[in-house]
Amino acid sequence: MGTVSSALGRRSVRIALAVLAAVVLLAAPLLLPAFANQTLVRIGVYAVAVLGLNIVMGYTGQVNLGQIFFVGLGAYVTAYGVNQGWNIVVVFIAACVSAGVVGLLVALAAARLGGLAIAMVTIALPIVGVPLAKRLDEFTGGSQGISARFSDAPEWSGLYNDQWQFYIVLVVTAAAFLLARSLVRGKYGRAFAVVKENEAVAASMGISPYRTKVLAFTIASIFGGASGFLYLAAVQYTSPETLSFGHSISLLAAMVIGGAGSIAGSLLGGAYYIFVPQITNAIDPNLTTLSQGAILLAVLFLLPGGLVSLPRALRRLGRRRSGRPTSGNPPKTAPAPHPVPEAALEGPDNKERQDRP
Amino acid sequence: MKISKRPGGVLGIVAMTSIVALSLSGCTRDGAGQGGGSGSSPGITDSAITLGITTPLSGATAGPGKCTVAGVSAYFGAVNAAGGVKFGDGKTRTVTIKSYDDAYDPQKSLANFQQMVSDNVFAATAGLGTPTNRAFREAAISQKVPQVLVMTGDPLFSDRKQSPWQLGFVPIYQNEGAAFGKLLSASKGQHKVAILSQNDDYGKGYVAGFKEAIKDASNISVVGEQTYEATDTSVDAQLTQLASSGADVFFNAMSVTPLTISALQKAQQIGWKPSWFLPSNTSSPTAILEPGGAAAYPGIYSVSFAKAPQSPAFAKDPDVTKFLSELKQYGNYPDMPAFPHCMWSYMVGATLEQAFKSMTEPTRDSFMTALRNIKDLKAPLMLSGTAVDTTVDGQPAVSSVVVQKYNGKGYATAENFG
Amino acid sequence: MTLLELVDVTASYGPVQVIDGVSLSVPEGGSVGILGANGAGKTTTLRAISGTVRTGGRITFEGRDIRGLRPDQVAALGIAHVPEGRGTLGQLSVRENLMVGAYLRKGRKAIADDVDYCLELFPQLRDRVGSRAAALSGGEQQMLAVGRAFMAKPKLLLLDEASLGLAPSTAKTVYDAIRRLRRESGIAMLVVEQNANLAFSLVDTATVLETGRNVLTGTSAELKGMDEIRRAYLGG
Repeated sequence: MGTVSSALGRRSVRIALAVLAAVVLLAAPLLLPAFANQTLVRIGVYAVAVLGLNIVMGYTGQVNLGQIFFVGLGAYVTAYGVNQGWNIVVVFIAACVSAGVVGLLVALAAARLGGLAIAMVTIALPIVGVPLAKRLDEFTGGSQGISARFSDAPEWSGLYNDQWQFYIVLVVTAAAFLLARSLVRGKYGRAFAVVKENEAVAASMGISPYRTKVLAFTIASIFGGASGFLYLAAVQYTSPETLSFGHSISLLAAMVIGGAGSIAGSLLGGAYYIFVPQITNAIDPNLTTLSQGAILLAVLFLLPGGLVSLPRALRRLGRRRSGRPTSGNPPKTAPAPHPVPEAALEGPDNKERQDRP
Repeated sequence: MKISKRPGGVLGIVAMTSIVALSLSGCTRDGAGQGGGSGSSPGITDSAITLGITTPLSGATAGPGKCTVAGVSAYFGAVNAAGGVKFGDGKTRTVTIKSYDDAYDPQKSLANFQQMVSDNVFAATAGLGTPTNRAFREAAISQKVPQVLVMTGDPLFSDRKQSPWQLGFVPIYQNEGAAFGKLLSASKGQHKVAILSQNDDYGKGYVAGFKEAIKDASNISVVGEQTYEATDTSVDAQLTQLASSGADVFFNAMSVTPLTISALQKAQQIGWKPSWFLPSNTSSPTAILEPGGAAAYPGIYSVSFAKAPQSPAFAKDPDVTKFLSELKQYGNYPDMPAFPHCMWSYMVGATLEQAFKSMTEPTRDSFMTALRNIKDLKAPLMLSGTAVDTTVDGQPAVSSVVVQKYNGKGYATAENFG
Repeated sequence: MTLLELVDVTASYGPVQVIDGVSLSVPEGGSVGILGANGAGKTTTLRAISGTVRTGGRITFEGRDIRGLRPDQVAALGIAHVPEGRGTLGQLSVRENLMVGAYLRKGRKAIADDVDYCLELFPQLRDRVGSRAAALSGGEQQMLAVGRAFMAKPKLLLLDEASLGLAPSTAKTVYDAIRRLRRESGIAMLVVEQNANLAFSLVDTATVLETGRNVLTGTSAELKGMDEIRRAYLGG
């Protein structure tokens, strides 16, 4: 295993699959019914928000209960910019930058506090945000909200609105996911992971936990702003309800359900955020809270690692079913030669953390 | 040897996306808003018509939200049981109601609207909430789907130019404020008024309507004015301030239930006992006035256009008894309604039936024409002095309200102030 | 040339004074041991240098006062700390752990070369480079912790109880590799070690602490001969 030829083989398979997927994604809106496109568009919106939350919480381990505030901020900036007639690229940048700047300022203050204090500060964001959005009615339209249409399909495209919106969301979402992927796999991703696991060790490696937290929080806010831009592309309207605190908790649930600390899990989280209300509506619109809670608990009990761990869980189940690996498993699919990592913790000296007394 | 512990990056994402995309139902695209073959709109056949309601059925506004579904369901449940509605084109159809929970989240109400379109719903109706209705207003316009008789006091929905496929049902905020202002102006005595209002379009609408109505009345003076934020948890400071103005009438444009209760308690604690005005959605006898100890005040006024089933005056009213039994039988709502939305949406049912009876073609266009042509309809449960009138641009279907006074149990129409 | 100098350093955890006037110095490229019984203040002395406890007195590194700097600032000056209990990052792979050590460095090629060097130094890690550090044995984790500190290319390595909890043969393997590392890289070292034999195999000079103070300082050779000292402070 690990020979050059198999590595090459795997790489070419990967590329082929990626190309195939890109073709599927580009062709999908032309073939799918409008409602499917609209649903996918909304999944994209929340997948980006969950992705940002995952960077700060899943990867860096900092509790953030205010992500929806940045989604709302991005949405309001987008609405304002569109209504002022700004170029749409400028609007997009403004949505990301303004969310990023506010996120940075909040993080500079909050990350100093550490631990649960960050969570408290982030709770305050949407709680302050809603009345603020109502009061600043010159910019926000007050409690009646504000409409802005920029995502209707232009004449020349010959597309339906839902198809056009799909492509807008696809571009931004794909860019966000690729960016996030290279971020968490690189140097900063490692820094996030170290800070999450052991701040003392991080510091001893020259990684400032403070700066790393601020960085993660700021990036999460920027993703929130981008998600707000997409929100407006999809909904074409925003109001103080957009940033109400409850949605922040739903985003958090979506992140955990999708898979904390997983890029693909963020997409699944977005899908969860959108699909579950649809499913529970179909079951019985009067019992949505109950059935949502039931689904949440069911997923958490069956897949504590989130939906993203489903393939792994199935594989493990399959392996257990088929008995010993020796009983006729073809070598291609044979399990890894190493023991399951969790089982190998050393006895007496698994004193992992260097805690300050 | 590399063990990748997760389905790696791009590949995983792409795979998941594809799965999600493919798992979505694969029915073919039908042109948005276009009818199926015979020239009729989606959602209507020769024997049935389907209406959709997106409204909060969970969360903080679930109480009134459930009422919006229950009332319409009750009305058409009884109509269907009696054979259905004879439409203007001569065909008799039954009415199906599909409800969707939006939890007062605009994003979800838009999603529900998109679902309605995909579910072939003829029209959206009766849903509660300003932001949630606004979220799909433009989509409804561009897809030419009626969004009518919705429960919002936002005047935008009654502006025909801006909202060609919309119509609000309940009085706009200004209507309510003005009704009380008019009653007060017509009274004999001199009155000093203190005003407390929510610092948003809701509170501003009430105050604007009220002030417009007392503009020319020399016997009325406003002696104190305070505001609060919808998120405030106490208005004690404002009350103390207003109490010191010596006002004998207190105009309180407040939309938050617990805050209204505590305001009623606080004012009597500090010895200020004026007559109160309260908006229709925060004047429930059982949910607000009783816990607030409202009996201590010389008068609690509110406005209404619906008979209150809990009021002794209407206990034997045939409208009310019929409504309550239908609500129980068809509306899945066995209790005494705690919110006026149950009555309102029952009237929405009656208004829709009226429109159905006069629409000559099974199309949304014909429906809108018929709907905008209803005048002086005395829907069941309406108080005398009020009626449905859909013909006036800029006004919702119900713009007439009567001022009522709390009598310790329920409300009775107040002919005069005092 | 003196690389690191401590003069009358004190440190406390809250109200509890743990070291009370420790002085020592490490020359460039030198290797100095801190010996003493449990609770004598050895680990706290290392923590005082790396900035994780509140300290008094004077700590200079390359002539610069570093007392009061944050741990990450100290690390950035070229002081790498292999903490007691190793502090390997269990959720990260072996390779990622090594890469974390090189966080402040630039130059992909040089970093990759040093990863290779670490894997050569600790061949046991080579087979496990993709697995999570939590899956390693205690000895392997200790090797990883040393390798990670080396990846920072420090001028001074603070090594805390590298033999703790290891079988004697494993401890010897670890120390053999550290000696080779020292020989080949010239990194200065400040070593806390309970096992006197292992300690003297690595250090040139050493100081003995008792209840937070220096009681004795000398070369390895001098100290090795003092049997009473060994019995009293070093547990045989």
